[in-house]
Amino acid sequence: MAAPRQQDTTPPAVLACGEVRTCLLPTRQALDIRSAAALLALRADERVLLSERPNLYARSPDTLTGVDCPLPSANGARVRAVGTVAARAALTEGRVLQTSAYARMPATGPDQRRPWGHYLVRPGMVEPLGKLPHEAVAQGVLDGGRPGDLDVGLIADGLLTRLLRHPLLDHSPPLRSRPTRLRWVALPAEGDEGPSIERFTLAADELRTVRLRVPGGTPSADIAGLCDDLALHDWLLTTVVRLLDGISLGAPPARRRPVAAPQRPAVVTALRPAVDHLLHLWMPRARVAKELAPLWEALEESPGFTRQWRTLVQRIRDQLTLHAIASVHREVEPAS
Amino acid sequence: MLVFAASDKGGTGRSVTSANLAYQRALAGDHVAYVDFDFGSPTAAAVFDVPGAMRGTEDRGLHSYLEGEVAEPARIDVWRQTEHPLLRARPNQSGRLVLLPGDAGGGEFATGEDALERCIDLLLRLHSEFDLIMVDLSAGRSYAVDMVLAATAHPRMRSVPFRWLVFHRWTRQHVIAASGLVHKEHGIIAGGVARGHDEDALRAAIRFVRAAVPDPESPLWSHGSPAQAAWMQACDEALRRLAAEQRIGDSVVLGVVPLEPILQWREQLITEEDVLATQIANKETLEALEEIALRLTDDAYWGRP
Repeated sequence: MAAPRQQDTTPPAVLACGEVRTCLLPTRQALDIRSAAALLALRADERVLLSERPNLYARSPDTLTGVDCPLPSANGARVRAVGTVAARAALTEGRVLQTSAYARMPATGPDQRRPWGHYLVRPGMVEPLGKLPHEAVAQGVLDGGRPGDLDVGLIADGLLTRLLRHPLLDHSPPLRSRPTRLRWVALPAEGDEGPSIERFTLAADELRTVRLRVPGGTPSADIAGLCDDLALHDWLLTTVVRLLDGISLGAPPARRRPVAAPQRPAVVTALRPAVDHLLHLWMPRARVAKELAPLWEALEESPGFTRQWRTLVQRIRDQLTLHAIASVHREVEPAS
Repeated sequence: MLVFAASDKGGTGRSVTSANLAYQRALAGDHVAYVDFDFGSPTAAAVFDVPGAMRGTEDRGLHSYLEGEVAEPARIDVWRQTEHPLLRARPNQSGRLVLLPGDAGGGEFATGEDALERCIDLLLRLHSEFDLIMVDLSAGRSYAVDMVLAATAHPRMRSVPFRWLVFHRWTRQHVIAASGLVHKEHGIIAGGVARGHDEDALRAAIRFVRAAVPDPESPLWSHGSPAQAAWMQACDEALRRLAAEQRIGDSVVLGVVPLEPILQWREQLITEEDVLATQIANKETLEALEEIALRLTDDAYWGRP
């Protein structure tokens, strides 16, 4: 039985948008489930969601940030909007930290700003004053707005900064890695078509943008959940690709190497953290709502997320195997 | 690893030398961030040749970040955004080289707890991303020096290793000033201890770099008269004695950068091309920079077995 829809007065959303920040948790060891709960206890009145199947996962309750500012738009239209942006943090296998901020917007809103009570009963909704040019705003969000425009990324980043100040973190991560940002918008699908990914781009070094079509009535928390999952796996791919990029096969020019010779071969030292901390994290769709799960199929088809991941994992294992063979039996020296 | 570049006076070659060290480490494959905390006169953009990339970042620099006006300071990818033709061809197997610029009209400013917290946030985030973070500090016992002394003494940064490089020229006044910056009662060590640092550990993390040192053996001076040569030798020896008395003698020197004409004319990175192809820079200068860059992380030069 479906729960009755709360607040019948809430207008249906024609646009949802959000941004996810993904980074390695800066601790030497992964956090166990109890520490994860302590880290993510953002609110005293709500519990942290903890789950151990199919992988270790903890998610904070939503926090709300009140906003009253212009919306970014691709055509220069200035639309002021008022409401609340929801934000939450999640920790996967005690190792990868994500903060995610998102909001949904109706086609029209009241012509004047209402008292806060009006907005507080619609958590995670930002209402325009007047009509919402949703296509222009969607593109504006993906392109990044002007200073002062609504920027859900800043809210996600603020939450990340708050979490990174937690005393549980020792700030000695096992490997150097780059955080990524994934910015997304979701527009209504045509007619009764299913969900689809219109575009997935690697915009700048750390920025990814995703444009989705979803059936009307899809909860924005579910869309954010899908995008968290995309961001997590995109980050894993990016991080492992960079790790493999960084190892040099074949002897480097001698004078360019730091003098202090490591005890272990450099390749083993470089790849070991991936084996210890990253390779077991791959699990697409572990927590994606059933209605949105088909979107992953498209990504598996092209560009082929899991195919690339398997190749990377195999490459790491091959390198380590090569180094495990005693040197007397080697015909060719592996890279050192 | 955090490396703080300090000097007592301006004109010591601190910014240009530390930028060259950052460049050398990136060439060797490390991911390097160069943080311009020289609030009075940010020069890093000129050294890395990224003036075009600076447009639009004037109000998103480190100064604005520390004051809480922007949530994230601007970053400039040097390989991609430099206007230096040789740097644009990013060498194979090199690491990232990212500049965090200061603001155009920064200037020193009074600090509070908030700026310190933001400074720690920034350094910790960079630490999780980069192998080496080179922080260029304003000359003298500046606000920037105090801030990073407080930041590195903070419990949140307990596991982040840091080292200090103090740059000075090879003259009487500069030797005395550099020693004063570190050892005097208002110096780095005393200031660090007042903020919770262990005195011995902090002292062991400070090394000196002598910049723009004329080498009497160099061909630059070979046309001088015997009297000039003898005078230079005598000066050099006197300076060595003075440095030893001032507790900045050879045992705490990380390296010596020879006097380099092109650095006297223009703050710039010295590339292999400048030495081999166009031969406008001296081989000794490049070698000295490469050597100091390696020694930054070589424990043998930091009093550790």
